[in-house]
Amino acid sequence: MVWARRVWMQLHTLFRRNRNAQQLDDEIQFHLEQQIAENIASGMSRAEARYAAMRTFGNPTFLKEATRDTWGWTRLEEITRDVKYACRALSRAPGFTAVAVLTLALGIGANSAVFTVVNGVLLRSMPFPESDRLFLVSLTPRGGPFEWQPGVSDGDYLAFRDQDRAFEEIASFSRGTTATLTGAGDAVQIPVAYVTTEFFSLLRTSPEIGRGFLVGEGEPGNDSVAVLSDELWKVRFGSDSKILGKRIRLDDVSRTVIGVMPPGFVFPDAKAWLPLSIRIDEHNSFTRPVVGRLKTDISAQQALAELETFAEQRPLGPDENRRDRMAQIIPLKDLLVANIRPSLLVFAGAVVFVLLIACANVANLFLARAASREQELAVRSTLGASRWRLLRQLLAESTLLSLGGGGAGILLAFWGVQSLPTLAPAGKLPRMEMIRIDGWVLAFTLSLSFITAVLFGLAPALQATRRCARESLSKGGRSLITGHERIRGALTISEIALALILLTGAGLMLNSFLHLRNVNPGFSPHSIMIMTVDLPDSTYGNANQIQAFHTQTLEELSRLPGVLASGAVDWIPLGENLAMGTFQVEGGHRPRGFMVDKPCASPGYFRAMGIRLVAGREFNEHDNAAAPGVVIVSQSVAQTIWPGENPMGKRISMEDDPKPGDWLIVIGVVEDVRQKGLGKQSDPAIYQSYLQVSSPGFLRHMTFVVRTASHTESVAGGMRAVLRNVDKNQPISVASMDSLVAIATADSRFQTRLLGTFALMALALTIVGIYGVLGYSVAQRTQEIGVRMALGAQKADLLHMLMKKALVLISLGIVIGGAGALTLTRVLAKFLFEVKPSDLPTFAAVALVLSFSALTACYLPVRRAMRVDPMVALRYE
Amino acid sequence: MAKPNDLVQGTLDLLILKTVSLEPKHGWAIAKRIQQIPGELLQVQQGSLYPALHRLEQKAWIKARWQGNGDGKKGQILFADGGGTGTD
Repeated sequence: MVWARRVWMQLHTLFRRNRNAQQLDDEIQFHLEQQIAENIASGMSRAEARYAAMRTFGNPTFLKEATRDTWGWTRLEEITRDVKYACRALSRAPGFTAVAVLTLALGIGANSAVFTVVNGVLLRSMPFPESDRLFLVSLTPRGGPFEWQPGVSDGDYLAFRDQDRAFEEIASFSRGTTATLTGAGDAVQIPVAYVTTEFFSLLRTSPEIGRGFLVGEGEPGNDSVAVLSDELWKVRFGSDSKILGKRIRLDDVSRTVIGVMPPGFVFPDAKAWLPLSIRIDEHNSFTRPVVGRLKTDISAQQALAELETFAEQRPLGPDENRRDRMAQIIPLKDLLVANIRPSLLVFAGAVVFVLLIACANVANLFLARAASREQELAVRSTLGASRWRLLRQLLAESTLLSLGGGGAGILLAFWGVQSLPTLAPAGKLPRMEMIRIDGWVLAFTLSLSFITAVLFGLAPALQATRRCARESLSKGGRSLITGHERIRGALTISEIALALILLTGAGLMLNSFLHLRNVNPGFSPHSIMIMTVDLPDSTYGNANQIQAFHTQTLEELSRLPGVLASGAVDWIPLGENLAMGTFQVEGGHRPRGFMVDKPCASPGYFRAMGIRLVAGREFNEHDNAAAPGVVIVSQSVAQTIWPGENPMGKRISMEDDPKPGDWLIVIGVVEDVRQKGLGKQSDPAIYQSYLQVSSPGFLRHMTFVVRTASHTESVAGGMRAVLRNVDKNQPISVASMDSLVAIATADSRFQTRLLGTFALMALALTIVGIYGVLGYSVAQRTQEIGVRMALGAQKADLLHMLMKKALVLISLGIVIGGAGALTLTRVLAKFLFEVKPSDLPTFAAVALVLSFSALTACYLPVRRAMRVDPMVALRYE
Repeated sequence: MAKPNDLVQGTLDLLILKTVSLEPKHGWAIAKRIQQIPGELLQVQQGSLYPALHRLEQKAWIKARWQGNGDGKKGQILFADGGGTGTD
């Protein structure tokens, strides 16, 4: 327990330093008096006794200091003194302080804000117990036609689960599905997740109320149960305490509520969980995410080895190649954040550049200040301050500034994080709920402030304390600061280079965004309203019922005032889903791997969407189940399958093994449409009339498209009324096609905006920095300028003289920055659309903008200097 | 690395500990007591006692208590054995 008492002693002495010092004085005084008294008693005179006592005692002042040293707080006292002194020094230069703190606040604040997001989205662990042992198992084809998602096909899942030895439990689940909730307020679409029964126990999260799924509860006939999210329970069921055992209707299927999950549990972005049992279906194979909890003594590498062995041994499908299968064991979090990680890392990198520029600026300010304080430092050094002592003094000032900047920066970050939801594309930033300023962010900001202080404070401090003892006193404060000049030059060059890199990155993103916005999607999205339905199979059991619903809706929509054209398609372009597949060509062949979209469309769809009909005719009401089967192909299908031929009247089939009645006649050719996104290639497509499609699965999900003459809002109201009239139990979602386009460009817009913001901050800081440096060096040379003017120098000569150096710095900065940008913008390649990372026009434009701004910043102080009256300049100082 | 200074300091520490282990004493009394120890062990100035005393107090090897003289101003620090094992 000795250490505890020691700590206590230390703290005790810390808070009682003054009293202890007083007591020590008394004690020593007492000692001396005793000694004197003793000396007198032994026969000395009073004065003699005193001297003798002092001799035997030693130097009291020195001994008191030595004693105080043993209290262990002298270092702290010195630091306190440094800080007090720094406060005084800074408060004497309020302008300098304000500029420095603001600059640092910008740099540190931007970094804290980005770190808050990175911390929340990427770093914070998933909100499950021992989440570091949760991994996704993924066995997917390499480079398939769809955006990569981790997943395992149902067949592989069952086989792997049976032989696996690395995981405690393995669960499969679906994400991104929705269901219509009826009977609890208005009908509404909610995101639901189908999960195998081990899902909750695997995540080690039990429902707050009730229970999770039991083994076997996924089996058909046994599966009419549901677990609700806390939010759904509160919002839709008014926190009903007797919710357990109640029946709710999801997609018109009645289910019993068996549990409510704790607040905050939404994984994987669901509001209700339904049991799933995995069965092998011969015709369709689903691929779903699979999560497993690793056994404690198994590493992810071992699990991967197991999965790879498994993949080696699985029999191959007909179209498969073993090398095309990719086995991966990925942290669970990646399911949500893998797609956003690269862009967040780019932002994090960009924002560090902003901080570096801010540091360079403040370092420059410090250099200028150190130059004017040279004499003060020299005096202190002559009076005995060591270089370390002076250095510490200067570093105390920079640390103080930096902490001020950090404090203001946190406020900025707070504001930035608040405004993030408006800046980020809706739904595109995962784990938004995890983003907040917490202890980690504060710790990050604090350490960043200290690092920053050293970053901008050390070089000027070293420079300032280097020669002060030797030379400066004699110079009377008018030293030529060549060393400073070199550092300032280097700082300015790096500022320009950093700013150029950021601006180039932002320029590329902007260029790419503009390309994306101007891309022709194959349809004309303006003045189009869309309305999507998902008809539940409980009410709409067969194709006839569904087709009747569609026909009636289409007819009523076409009668709405202000509607120019109307139609419907199952998977709307730029929407969320699509089905791709193969087909057979009569008397020809389909190139291996050539897959097409297979939309079901209604008569009038192409007119309503503004998809150009290249040849032939559109569908009409007579293309129904009784008529011969027809299709409309997109241009790329026609060109690929029948190059140089007229596709009209050719026959294809959607069946793998077509019977005579399965052949469909091509009656028209339309333009290709960018189905999966504006930045993606156009998909080849083969359209069928919805009246000729008999599988209910392809008809349930339908989007109605209405082209309006005018006022879209009133038409939207009409559309809602139509749907209510046809089936009041369908949830209504009406949107404009423009909003779908906006969502499709949202990522790009977000990245461009954010990178643009950072680049503009960098540019502003750089310009202020250059202005400051040039202004200072011109001010230093006022006398020289005066002399030159008095001796007859022309303005042009002076301009040349003063601007020459600035020009050299700017050009060097641009060359270095250009080289840096060429290397660094490569990381942007995957975010850029139709723009190369080394796009010359962008580079040139950015370099021009930066040079022009920098030159302007230089010219202003130079012009001011040249207006100076030579007489005034000569009298200067 | 043991400098000669460390040796003296260590000796002084031991003497102090030995002295206060018998009964609590204040600085003056400790100095007197150490001076009475036979031999030329300690050729240091009396004042060196105080840094040593306070160092030992910080190490919690001895305890210190303020003993006033009743007038609230003057008084002495009374040092006593710390009761520890004396090992770090």
